[in-house]
Amino acid sequence: MEKTEFIIPIGPQHPALKEPENFMIKVDGEYVVDVKARIGYNHRGIEKALENRTYIQNLYLLERVCGICSCCHMTNFTNAVEEAMGLNIPERAKYLRVLNAELERIHSHLLWLGVAAHEVGFDTLFFYVWRDRELVMDLIERFSGNRVNKAIPTIGGVRRDLNPELARDILKGCNILEERTKYYKNLCANERTVILRTLDVGILKTSDAISLCAVGPTLRASGVKSDVRADDPYLVYDEIPFNVITYDGCDILSRVLVRCDEIFESINIIRYCIDHIPEGPIRTKVPVFMRVPETEVVSLWEAPRGELIHYLKSRGGNKPYRYKIRSPTLANIPSACKMLIGGYIADIPITLASIDPCFSCTDRMVIVDVNKDERYVWSHEQLRRYGLKWYQQRP
Amino acid sequence: MEISDEHFNIVEELKKVVGNENVLEYNVKRNRRIFVTIKVEKLRDAVKHLSERGFEHLSTISGVDVEDGAEVIYHLTRQGAKKGMTLSLRVKVPQEGTVPSIVDILPGAVLYEREVHDLIGVVFDGHPDLSKLVLPEGWPDEIHPLQKRWGLEEIRRKLMEHGEN
Repeated sequence: MEKTEFIIPIGPQHPALKEPENFMIKVDGEYVVDVKARIGYNHRGIEKALENRTYIQNLYLLERVCGICSCCHMTNFTNAVEEAMGLNIPERAKYLRVLNAELERIHSHLLWLGVAAHEVGFDTLFFYVWRDRELVMDLIERFSGNRVNKAIPTIGGVRRDLNPELARDILKGCNILEERTKYYKNLCANERTVILRTLDVGILKTSDAISLCAVGPTLRASGVKSDVRADDPYLVYDEIPFNVITYDGCDILSRVLVRCDEIFESINIIRYCIDHIPEGPIRTKVPVFMRVPETEVVSLWEAPRGELIHYLKSRGGNKPYRYKIRSPTLANIPSACKMLIGGYIADIPITLASIDPCFSCTDRMVIVDVNKDERYVWSHEQLRRYGLKWYQQRP
Repeated sequence: MEISDEHFNIVEELKKVVGNENVLEYNVKRNRRIFVTIKVEKLRDAVKHLSERGFEHLSTISGVDVEDGAEVIYHLTRQGAKKGMTLSLRVKVPQEGTVPSIVDILPGAVLYEREVHDLIGVVFDGHPDLSKLVLPEGWPDEIHPLQKRWGLEEIRRKLMEHGEN
């Protein structure tokens, strides 16, 4: 450890975001020199638990992997199991799964936009965005009966159908959401506070994004046109026209704009789904004591945060032999570390937030001043305030 | 849907690079999904070749505990509209055996290798820092929880002995 540098551990607990992580941040003056990530503070052993439960029980466990993109894990699991069983599900069920997933993407991106606004000290925007997010939350609740764990997909199809009245209300809600998102996008692209804190901050060069295997909006904001929905279409994404949004700013502003534009794309996908959804059954019958033949499946999914991969190895029977989950945040942690290096301490909160980490918790941090042999304990909130004050006092 | 020839060409080309005898088996499950098993000595050559052929995105590394050792599966993905494809490259090693690290070829592997090391016990030779990533400090070193020999009850008992619960 060099004498001129501080080590700042951030984490592991943070109540605003999910998935606890710890970042040991080495600083030189105001600059971040090196970052080391340590995760696992809330490792729940879900992969082990999955091996000890039947596929039907796992359906419900999988939904609880994440509280924001819960349907992604659940639907990706049903896709994997159905592929392993060679089961074809009705077209209508596929459309309903897409509808559910895109509603979730809208709520997730709006949630993130609010968090990002909060991290740069723009709490007015935070409150407005979260107020409008309730529109999509209400639609999700009416469609699924729940706000968080929606339990829409099941092995063989989906559990709830769409009625014409709800379809009309979803379209109505989409119109309002589109208006509001246009307003927020325009605001983010032109408002001085946002630009000051996000333009050319948290740079992730295109070459780094590729070599560090970044995924999702983080990757697309570095100019790489990659989206599982377009690259490796699942369900009915090959029938639905949509654009893969990229920006080449490689900074946080680009990540904001990518997510705003993705909300418009999701709205268009939802409109297409409602216009084109075929009539018919919503699920095929699956035996209660279902068994999966010996096989292995790799199932990919574009979650709001990026590529999600599940790997299923079955040896027959009613339990998976091995079920591997890699959620998008893990893929983006090396990129987040890269973004921090060379930046200011004051930019740590917004830069970490810019990958949209499902990272539950970074509420405690310790600053070690090696020169003075002192140790400060800071909460994430204090770090955020430090960042805001630092920017206010800057000439 | 019929599987396109492209999938088989990719495998044939890989065979040429690492040698026919080093590809133990392969399987094209469906369009855009290839599974190849190779000898562990040829892993780095294969990864280098595939990353130059467009499979430059490492989606993740899965570790699987099997009867006679451990399987390490590298899910390499080719990105881009309409050309997405995932090639799962598998190597087999003895339990808690050694696999060469690929971090210098694909820097994105850095956390995945640590995760597999924690949970399955495979050692990645040449990895810059194989310290614990997901298991807590004070977790007994001999327990790699995704090994089949560690049942849930057994893990619980061991942790109690260690003073954790």
